[in-house]
Amino acid sequence: MGGPLRFLLSNEFGLIVLVLLFGILFSTLSPAFLSKFSLYALGRTSAVNIMIGFSMMVVIITGGLNLSVGAIGVGAAMFGGWLMQAFGMPWVPGVIGGLAMGAALGALNGVIIVRSGLHSFIITLATMSIFFGVMIYLTRAESYREISPAFTSYGRMKILGVISPLLLVTFAVAIMLSVLFRFTALGREMLVAGANARAAEISGIRVNRMITYCHMLSGILAGVAGLMLVSRTGAAIPSMAGQLGQDWLLPAFLGPVLGGTLLTGGRLSVLGTLLGSFLVTMLTTGLLLMQVGAFWIQTYLGLLLLAAVLIDLARRSYLERRKLL
Amino acid sequence: MNTAQRVLAAGLSLALLPSATLADESTRVALVPGGPHPYFAAWEQAGADAAKDFGLGSADYRVPQKWELGLQNQMLESLVTQGYNAFLVFPGDPVGTVAIANELAETGAPVMALAGCLKDPSEAVFCMGTDTGNSAYLGTKELLKQLGDGAKIVHFTGFLVDPNTQLRIDAVAKAAAEGGAEVIQVIADIDAPEPAEEKINAYLAAHVDEVDGIVTTAWVPAVVASNALRKIGDKRIVMVGIDHDEVVIQAIKDGFVHGTMLQNPYGQGYIGSFVADRLRSGCTVKADAPFKSNALTDKFIDSGTVFAGANDVDNYVGSMQSITKVLFDEFESTYLDC
Repeated sequence: MGGPLRFLLSNEFGLIVLVLLFGILFSTLSPAFLSKFSLYALGRTSAVNIMIGFSMMVVIITGGLNLSVGAIGVGAAMFGGWLMQAFGMPWVPGVIGGLAMGAALGALNGVIIVRSGLHSFIITLATMSIFFGVMIYLTRAESYREISPAFTSYGRMKILGVISPLLLVTFAVAIMLSVLFRFTALGREMLVAGANARAAEISGIRVNRMITYCHMLSGILAGVAGLMLVSRTGAAIPSMAGQLGQDWLLPAFLGPVLGGTLLTGGRLSVLGTLLGSFLVTMLTTGLLLMQVGAFWIQTYLGLLLLAAVLIDLARRSYLERRKLL
Repeated sequence: MNTAQRVLAAGLSLALLPSATLADESTRVALVPGGPHPYFAAWEQAGADAAKDFGLGSADYRVPQKWELGLQNQMLESLVTQGYNAFLVFPGDPVGTVAIANELAETGAPVMALAGCLKDPSEAVFCMGTDTGNSAYLGTKELLKQLGDGAKIVHFTGFLVDPNTQLRIDAVAKAAAEGGAEVIQVIADIDAPEPAEEKINAYLAAHVDEVDGIVTTAWVPAVVASNALRKIGDKRIVMVGIDHDEVVIQAIKDGFVHGTMLQNPYGQGYIGSFVADRLRSGCTVKADAPFKSNALTDKFIDSGTVFAGANDVDNYVGSMQSITKVLFDEFESTYLDC
């Protein structure tokens, strides 16, 4: 089967169709959906949600989970903010410091998981509380707002009046992740270790090391998401991901799962995660714009997601009947 | 909205009716709390009454479905797209909401922080809310009037990520130190039913004999602690709560709770909607307006707090009416150039 045809039959193409369908639906019901301000806001919010999805995706490929993505993201952002405020660091070393903290916390998760042999669900559930608790204790729940104006201006900048630079950062990270998992030995070893740890071990892949690397990468990506929020809000804020970082859990899972990343590990889709996270953000924005009652939004969001999955299932069934899949 | 809030709303609406003639029908005010919470329920009626009394296009209560800073930001962005042109916002975070408030102000909309403040500097014209530290201090003082020297009190309060919580903890500690009492336990992060039920009931089950007094400085802990004292049935422990939930009010009437520190959410929403329209009509905030200062801002207006004990609880609506009326009557001349 040729490349273009294979793409037309893929999960990612299904998501593109859904994004277009819901885009047409929302813009028909509320023309303001396509206003510059609305599109800009949608892109900016999506950028962070997609990054959170990536953060979970790179751990799901090991067959594990990372419930501490929010706590790590906030921890990294707070550390970066502290460096910039307390030491007057320019934003580049401050951001690098924040990402290093994200990497360290993620690696700590990985090391505990491989050393203990316990499931990542248990370990990251515990570290979620530990990381967040230590952060609150050290910061006294105070924000850092003396952030370099050059850095915070990115969060408010509009390219051509409609594109947020944060979205470009997300696209750049997506490309890097695609290259990592498609074209490098390290990325492929991570996938093989997640698909079948025993077989990977026999073929000489250091599975434990790969799991640790995946968690470290997850920490870095969570740190990127946290620092994007710092740029967006102009401050590093302890509550940016809610209590214990739990606000990030839903976007963290929805994007990868809708995008076709296997929960059993071994397979991922960077484009699928990007599209899945974008679809969820678009649905929320569209429902808000249509003034659906606040307490109905979750219900409608659930219904729309169910509809999205069923539409995709129908598409696949059709293709299978036609022997195209 | 419960019966008491309806009575309060109706009473205030009738009492504050004048001066709607210069209103602008194009004014569309959005009253946006940080998330669902009973404290803000009075804003809905306040906005509706203000829209009717002052002839505004609308003054609508819009609640993010969860307490998430990101969701509140997303909702505010959506409200701009929907054509709202004035915003009364409880900041999801005093620092984190500054950026979106500034963006709203850039669209030309007046923005006010309501019930909680934004950290200066921000484009919010002012912050109107309860002086939380003062309320906690006064509440503790009322509690200590009932207790002797060396009393042991516990403090149930809100989320630690809310900087107001630290102000409340400090204020209670200060009042206790001045009154010769000891704060033997502070339990925070419980302004939600599940953690409040779990932690308050567990604490009282284990330590009920060691506690002389309870002060609560958040809505849900006040409700849960009131119920807990009613269940225990021992009126030895003296409690001062906060806000006007019917559970707390009834517990005061039945003698299980000594009193409550009332706040004024209706007045915030009603006066805030009025001011939003006046600002859109060309009024400006006086350069020498007599704002107060708190830990977050130098543009603070106290929307009022008052203690209601057993003798006052039947007329607590009247107490809040009088506070709101005084604030409303003098607001334009005190704070605005029109």
